[in-house]
Amino acid sequence: MDQNKTLIIDGVIAEDIWTYIDDDAELIDGPSIVSLSRLQQDYETLKSHPFPLGLVIRAGTKQGEDVTDVANMLDAVSLVAIDFPVYRNGRGFSTARILREDYAFKGELRAIGDVLFDQLIFMHRCGFNAYSVPKTMSLDSFKSAMGMLPGAYQPASDDRRGILWQRNSR
Amino acid sequence: MYRYDEFDHEMVRQRVAQFRDQVSRRMSGELEEDAFKPLRLMNGVYLQLHAYMLRVAIPYGTLSSRQMHQLAHIARKYDRGYGHFTTRQNIQYNWPALEAIPDLLEELAEVEMHAIQTSGNCIRNVTADQYAGAIEAEVEDPRIISEIIRQWSTFHPEFSFLPRKFKIAVSGHENDRAAIRFHDIGIAIKKNDAGQIGYEVHVGGGLGRSPFIAKKIADFVKPEKLLAYLEAVMRVYNQLGRRDNSYKARIKILVHEIGADEMKRRVEVEFAKIDSRGTLDLPEAERQRIASYFAPPAFETLSNSCPEFEAACTNDAAFSKWVKTNVVAHKVDGYAIVNISLKPIGGVPGDATDVQMDSIAKIACDYSCDEIRVTHEQNLVLPHVRKMDLHTVYEALCAADLHTPNLGLISDQIACPGLDYCNLANARSIPVAQEISERFSDLDRQADIGELHIKISGCINACGHHHVGNIGILGVDKKGTEFYQLTLGGAPDEHAAIGDITGPAFTADKVVDAVENIVETYMHHRKDGEKFLQTYRRVGMAPFKERLYGSE
Repeated sequence: MDQNKTLIIDGVIAEDIWTYIDDDAELIDGPSIVSLSRLQQDYETLKSHPFPLGLVIRAGTKQGEDVTDVANMLDAVSLVAIDFPVYRNGRGFSTARILREDYAFKGELRAIGDVLFDQLIFMHRCGFNAYSVPKTMSLDSFKSAMGMLPGAYQPASDDRRGILWQRNSR
Repeated sequence: MYRYDEFDHEMVRQRVAQFRDQVSRRMSGELEEDAFKPLRLMNGVYLQLHAYMLRVAIPYGTLSSRQMHQLAHIARKYDRGYGHFTTRQNIQYNWPALEAIPDLLEELAEVEMHAIQTSGNCIRNVTADQYAGAIEAEVEDPRIISEIIRQWSTFHPEFSFLPRKFKIAVSGHENDRAAIRFHDIGIAIKKNDAGQIGYEVHVGGGLGRSPFIAKKIADFVKPEKLLAYLEAVMRVYNQLGRRDNSYKARIKILVHEIGADEMKRRVEVEFAKIDSRGTLDLPEAERQRIASYFAPPAFETLSNSCPEFEAACTNDAAFSKWVKTNVVAHKVDGYAIVNISLKPIGGVPGDATDVQMDSIAKIACDYSCDEIRVTHEQNLVLPHVRKMDLHTVYEALCAADLHTPNLGLISDQIACPGLDYCNLANARSIPVAQEISERFSDLDRQADIGELHIKISGCINACGHHHVGNIGILGVDKKGTEFYQLTLGGAPDEHAAIGDITGPAFTADKVVDAVENIVETYMHHRKDGEKFLQTYRRVGMAPFKERLYGSE
């Protein structure tokens, strides 16, 4: 875990039990996060690993990794970390919704990288439940970010329906 | 007109409060400019050459009198007494003080306006035909679906950090006045043989340094499915759009690189998944509720022949001339659509003073069912004026110096702010527009030349739409000197075309002569009743080239 980050899972500060494993390194005896290409290549082996398996999806500069490439391997995975290399790169918002809505992924969905205060509520609405935020951000500050824009015009991956769908059923 | 409900009010109020906090953190130094930048951009605040600029959204270009009065008040209180109407049907203020912007936004919110999503890489203000609800033979008022798209796209959690900005335009008429084929998504409203409404979807149009005409990827999306379809397009773009180079990040580059057929296929795959969940199916009751806001005003039953109007035409030659250029037939007998030119001879295209805005607001309140429209050509429209009131309206416009009879003529130019304001520009645009306007100041000469659209951009980003000007002018910088490249034959409408480059660029002191040479060449070659564009399409570039550069 990056010393400059705080991990918040389901609204609570948490210890990071996961280790990122380089593509050419052995898995460890513990929860391990592998790359998308490694999952694709070693799915059978990884599936039988006796510890929880995680997947990291990198956004890349040109197009980024495509979660649909591993759609049928997600049963082996209990955590997906989605990387935001810079705050401007919002590809991960779609990746999260695809995981939650198209593939009904129920595990931990973690935002890593350049995670901005003002983006947290959008991440939550797209299905993230875990956030690696700068150490300078307090839990109170995190909670106030989550309280921003409590209304929603449109449905997403959270439980808000969107006002266009509510006005006539209130 | 659409009216906010308590939900809309609350969303805007929260946003203003949030931005007030951000500005105070910036003013105190707690936030550095780097960290502040994405926050201010989400609220329409740009840093320009000399000062902060604020862009205010005018959804689908529709304003009430009350809103226009407030825009005038803001120009007076927070700016230097004027505002600039843009090609996105918005208004920009060039001189607000940063610390005053939260108060400004609060005053905007009082009249149900805001600056949300007028900048940044998100879905921008939706634009639409300025004659919506007033023009004959409209399939459906485009503002209905535009408002629905506005709501769906506002604070969209998935699409607020796209590869690049994203612009949607809607037309409900066979004559496209919204330039839908030059938008990221262009929507044309259609009616099928069974009389049902549906939406034809075009994607990947745009100007900038690589202009493209949008490709049609859907013929008829049903109203209840449109948001699901748009979400599919956005998701494909957000996943596949390039982020390595901001000049290649617009959806037009993606569509160009993978091809329209592959784009269509991918969108349909995504649409099938979204559609199967049904969560974005628009309830018909909500659609009807929003449509009811755009119900026609209570038009009077009038005869189309109006003796007062006809007498005024006979007795007042200047009025008659103005009617000919600036007034368009209305769908209801006895009414007319009035265009207000914001292109006075020698003026800055799109600028209006606070006094002028107040005058227009008053005229609209008294004579146009309280409505005003902004056009993408940077003019204004009074959509519903009784013919019997036209002369009174004309006199009121004269008193405010808003009566220039030049709609669609050579002095009705689009120009970007250019080097006078913009830190991206290579060359000045406004002075070139002013010089052209002065050169052709004789309105009889303009009328004789006929319909001719000049569009001027001060750099390759093409904010002045030069690619789709009948005559396009692009400012370029060559070793510190401003040059202007000319294009001919562009058109933004249903016969969309990108202009052809004439040849080597001209210096600032030669470019207006070159424009005049082009006009004279057209006049020489035109046949009876032919517009500039028709002549150009018939005779081609050769005679223009020869006149501009001599024979080789």
